[in-house]
Amino acid sequence: MSHIHIPDGVLPWWLWLGGWLLALGLLAVASRFAERAESRRAVPLIGAVSALVLVSMGSEIVPLAYHINLTVIAGVLLGPWLGAISAFIVVLILALMGHGGITVVGLNTLVIATEMALGWALVRGGARLLGRTRIRPVAAVATAVTLAITTTMLVGIVALAGTGAATRETGALDAETLEFRDPFSDGVLSIGLLGEHHGESEEEHAEHAGEGGLSVGRFAAVVYTLGPIGWLLEALVTAGILGYVARVRPSLVFGEPTAEDQHPRYGDEQGRH
Amino acid sequence: MDVTAVDRSAVLGETLLHRAAPASKLVAAGLLLGAVVNANDPLITAGLALSLTGAAAAVRLPLRQMLPLALYPALFALVFAFAAAPGPVTGALVVLKAVTAALVVVMLMFSTPYPQVFAPLQRVVPTIVGDALLMTYRSLFILADKFGDLLRAVRLRSGISTRQPIRAARATIRALGGLLLYSFDLSQREYDILRVRGYQGRLRVSPKTSVEPAADAAALMYAALILAVVLAFRIFHDSLDGYAWLVTVAGALDLAVGLLIGWRHR
Repeated sequence: MSHIHIPDGVLPWWLWLGGWLLALGLLAVASRFAERAESRRAVPLIGAVSALVLVSMGSEIVPLAYHINLTVIAGVLLGPWLGAISAFIVVLILALMGHGGITVVGLNTLVIATEMALGWALVRGGARLLGRTRIRPVAAVATAVTLAITTTMLVGIVALAGTGAATRETGALDAETLEFRDPFSDGVLSIGLLGEHHGESEEEHAEHAGEGGLSVGRFAAVVYTLGPIGWLLEALVTAGILGYVARVRPSLVFGEPTAEDQHPRYGDEQGRH
Repeated sequence: MDVTAVDRSAVLGETLLHRAAPASKLVAAGLLLGAVVNANDPLITAGLALSLTGAAAAVRLPLRQMLPLALYPALFALVFAFAAAPGPVTGALVVLKAVTAALVVVMLMFSTPYPQVFAPLQRVVPTIVGDALLMTYRSLFILADKFGDLLRAVRLRSGISTRQPIRAARATIRALGGLLLYSFDLSQREYDILRVRGYQGRLRVSPKTSVEPAADAAALMYAALILAVVLAFRIFHDSLDGYAWLVTVAGALDLAVGLLIGWRHR
């Protein structure tokens, strides 16, 4: 549930536009912090990790309809600021492949950037508290907690859209009052075909006008039912991969992302020449 | 997601849409996305989807590769529609919007190389973000190839089987772990290349110009017409409500004509 699979034109404009503005603000701040590090090193690192996330999203871990995300791993490897840039890139390329709407790129960036930052903080904090040898359980718990929190963010976004989402985006604009009206409030048969109120009074019609919104309760029930399976799979994969990387190249997991000693050359593991 | 198929079509394709300037195609895609966002009736959205498919067929874009990509978001939209939509018609509208928006984006990406799509974006976003976008695009193909090789190697050793999901999961995790280390080595090599070439914090992409201005005009006029129709139905909902089916019929006609043109120019 790492990113919102909501198509274009469902959420109200103020919500997705706000998401875009916040995401661009986050990118501006993240770029400031990222450029403090050597950008020549940061650029290829973000590129490689973003590509890794995109490749992993294209592969099913078991023959089920769940794909993995590796966002927590990307967060641990990149840190919160480079992670925010990577989140935007991943979401944008996914949207350009038709996977998630273009209008929700901003909101998706905020959700995935939060996932990366939280994952980074929880894994680093947990490893410091419990010791590096317990990186697998720490990574698993951190991933599950992170995904639970970002799934709640997703439900929060739909709740924010609330009844306004369907009412605005499937409603007609009244040219006189510049207000939107829900064309589905009259029932299924009248949708765009008949366009009449079927004997309803104006009061009854106005009463029904707000009922065409998204069902937040049902959405939350479905997400919190299907989500934990994905969280569990992602937690197991993250624990497996981070455990492996922590064993063979610990500096990648516990060091700074753009530090010189993170990138040993072949045959020169100390990075000295 | 077959990124290489998209890239091959974008770079090697020779359709009318390929000859238009990327800037015109981006504006046209923006107008069409505006139409999808504003479409408030499943009949209108369905007409839009049919018309776009017809346009893609007419210019001979690879429909067989495009349509699965455009239909993929329908799966997620179905889940969302089932979970959140207040009724079946709104649900249908949500799914149709997902497919139509994906179709617009997929048409753009099958006819325009990624760097050309990123070029205008580079002017808006911070330098490091624009450069990292291009680096991601480059790394994506290398890592996708490498991951394919890793999985093939594991499969040849009977490591991945649908009958043994746990064993398959372990093998995939190992492959991903190896891929992660490889991606770090890749970033190191790219860093070395940037350093040798004197990278000063900006990778520039020269925007391509139009080979056939008529193609630009056609793409822009088509997109503007679609948006105008959708906005007319939205603004004058009360008067035009009963005629939404006309848009579906027009879309179906577009599809038939598009398929015919595409078939005749084979």
